[in-house]
Amino acid sequence: MKLALLILEDERPVREALRRDLVSFARHVRLEEAEDVPTALEVIEEIDAAGDRLALVMADHRLPGTSGVDFLIGLAADDRTATARKVLVTGQADQDDTIRAINEAGLDRYVAKPWQADALCELVRDQLTAFVVAAGVDPLPHLAVLDAERALAIVRERGDL
Amino acid sequence: MSAVFDRAGHEGSGAGDRLAPLCVLIVASEPLAASIGEEVARGLSDIAEVVWVDDGAAACAQVSAHPDRVVPLVLITASSASPGSSDSIDTRIATLDTQAILRRASVLLLTDRALHDDLSLSVDCDRLHAVIRIPGSPGILAWHARAQTVRWLSSHRPTDPRTRALVAADGRPVAQPESDLLRLLELDTQEVAAQLLAGIERVLGPRPRLLLPAGTRLIHEGVDVDAVLVVLRGRVALDHASAAGDLRLHHDSTGSVVGLLSLAQQQRAFFTARATTEVEVVHLSFEQLDRALAVDASLGAAMAAVSIRALAKRLRRADQLQVEKTQLNHVLERERRQLSEALRQLEQARLELVEQARYATLGEMAAGIAHELNNPVAAMLRATTYVGEDLERVLASHPQGRLASEIFAAERDRPPRSTREERAARRRLEVALGDAGLAQRLFDAGIEDPERARALAADPTSLDLVEAVAGIGSAVRNLEVASRRMCELVTSLRAYARPKGEPVAGVDLHAGLEDTLRLMAHRLRDVEIERSYGDLPPIRCHPGELEQLWTNLLVNARDALGDTLGGGPEGRGRIALITDAPDASHVRVQIRDNGRGIDPDILPRVFEPRFTTKQGAVRYGLGLGLAIARRIVDAHGGTIELSSRPGCTRVTITLPVAGPPDDEDIET
Repeated sequence: MKLALLILEDERPVREALRRDLVSFARHVRLEEAEDVPTALEVIEEIDAAGDRLALVMADHRLPGTSGVDFLIGLAADDRTATARKVLVTGQADQDDTIRAINEAGLDRYVAKPWQADALCELVRDQLTAFVVAAGVDPLPHLAVLDAERALAIVRERGDL
Repeated sequence: MSAVFDRAGHEGSGAGDRLAPLCVLIVASEPLAASIGEEVARGLSDIAEVVWVDDGAAACAQVSAHPDRVVPLVLITASSASPGSSDSIDTRIATLDTQAILRRASVLLLTDRALHDDLSLSVDCDRLHAVIRIPGSPGILAWHARAQTVRWLSSHRPTDPRTRALVAADGRPVAQPESDLLRLLELDTQEVAAQLLAGIERVLGPRPRLLLPAGTRLIHEGVDVDAVLVVLRGRVALDHASAAGDLRLHHDSTGSVVGLLSLAQQQRAFFTARATTEVEVVHLSFEQLDRALAVDASLGAAMAAVSIRALAKRLRRADQLQVEKTQLNHVLERERRQLSEALRQLEQARLELVEQARYATLGEMAAGIAHELNNPVAAMLRATTYVGEDLERVLASHPQGRLASEIFAAERDRPPRSTREERAARRRLEVALGDAGLAQRLFDAGIEDPERARALAADPTSLDLVEAVAGIGSAVRNLEVASRRMCELVTSLRAYARPKGEPVAGVDLHAGLEDTLRLMAHRLRDVEIERSYGDLPPIRCHPGELEQLWTNLLVNARDALGDTLGGGPEGRGRIALITDAPDASHVRVQIRDNGRGIDPDILPRVFEPRFTTKQGAVRYGLGLGLAIARRIVDAHGGTIELSSRPGCTRVTITLPVAGPPDDEDIET
């Protein structure tokens, strides 16, 4: 089982920049991209079918058709994806959208464009760790992309070490 | 059946003749008709002949047969001519009125009934001149018929010699009314007052005349009145003090008796009576008046006549004031409405000014931003090219330069694919290599061919190089895309800023439209263009600006047609261009499309500058399209209106023929 990270972004240059900044995770995490919501749902199906877990979604807000916030709200209502960590990466969500994302989708983080690569990686690591903790996933296979200290604390509590 | 009883006034013939025969009609059944006829004839022996007939129809036949006759009077009996008939008085008078001659006649109803409920229409139309109970005292009918005939003659045939014999020159019948009161009421005010005074003086002896100068107050408002003043000469005004200042209620002249009303009501004077000219009056205290009236009862009629005349005059004045008040109220109401309309227009004008100022500021800002962005963007765009060129030179000296250059160029020029296609390609590579992580790396480097992927996987040094140059390739591509977008944005912002230069006169608006259509031909090739050009005078304008305007509007219209092209519910996408000149100093252009229409929620804001994401692709300038259009139209001193519903969006531009107003400082 692999942890999966989904980037939902309609603009190719932005999508590519995100992927490049997160390339260090790619060796250990399933890194998926989607340019619109229907594609994102297909990707989620594939992840599920392969027995992997969607751990983190990084969604733009302004999208063709459904907005990023609406997509995240939909995820929160789906058992397979409810535990996934949800991050908005946008320069265009206004206050009302953001409030909705927090209250209705349980938004975890908000990343404003343009982002800093270091901070972004830190945030992804932090969120993946939070997912592992909350979902009760065994952290050991994924230690490379997690906050090692927090991950090991869980292992110690379980008494496996 | 009919009978002619008497013939008088038979000289001459023809209704238009001054001496046309006069004929009084009696509509009654025998034997009543004969007895009525005889009596009436006695009263009219020297004036008119009397004819009686059975019923209304016979009356009509009678006048038709003798069109030369003049009929001043018709007497009808209440009891119906034909037994069992339930004709109402209204119906019977209406029958008579079918004849023009009878329509002019006065109608007297002779009735033996105590109650009538069948003549409301006749009363309402003023067709009933007297109701006479029969049988009555002997001679009454003759007297009535005569009086009515004389009155009719005096008002309908004033020049008839027979009328002159019966009616005095001033319009009053020669025969005076029998009652004192009516006789006095026919006199003029001055005469009545003189008669009253004469009567009083007969009882009280001569009354001293008082000579008073203009301005003298004869009665004081709020003070008990215990005397009247007979004004023999001069004018008196009645004023009432009110919150709105002194109010002139009435202006009376010689002959009036001042103080009568207050005296009658035994109360304080409601007004102040003041002489406005020198006046000559006789002062009569309440007691003097009382004594005079007690001694000579005939004075009562004169007193009543004076009072009635005074009251009537005042009442007429009050009615007139009421009418004036209503008229004034109407005028006030109209002025109030005009004022509120003016206020509304002022407010509208103010809002438009605020709006203009806002757009002016936006225009300046846009121009400023465009200018500031232009240089850095140009530098960026050039720099991306340089990076590529320099990298090619560096790689030329590299041992694996050929491979690296190829990978770099492929990645730089890689056409966009959907994420779905990319994912599928990556899966294929994963399956071929059996290692997801490795497949991902190679795929990111633009390697999709499994053979080549396997070769590179076995050669880590080359793989590193390939990943690096692929990264540079995509970075250069993204830089270039990003800077081009910014360039387009700068161009849009510039278009939003105002143009420089003087307006050009004598411009053919249709030529400009056609130029624009030609330039846009490739974008409009799927669209049916309908032209409906009217006769337009040449106008003064910024022609380039107007072409930008038509372009923006056509782009929007084309955009709205997106869904309906190739046969939507509305059929083929259609754009109609309609021009006309609503008046001598304006031209009007309408651009209509049958597209999906504008969402009513955003309709009020379509003229505001904004940027939009349309169908996933951010399109630059479109969000500004209408804002620019509006700015151009504003600068030309014209108007732009937009209405939209699904299947019909209409933009209407009106431009002054004279071109932009000279004062163009609004936005600069």
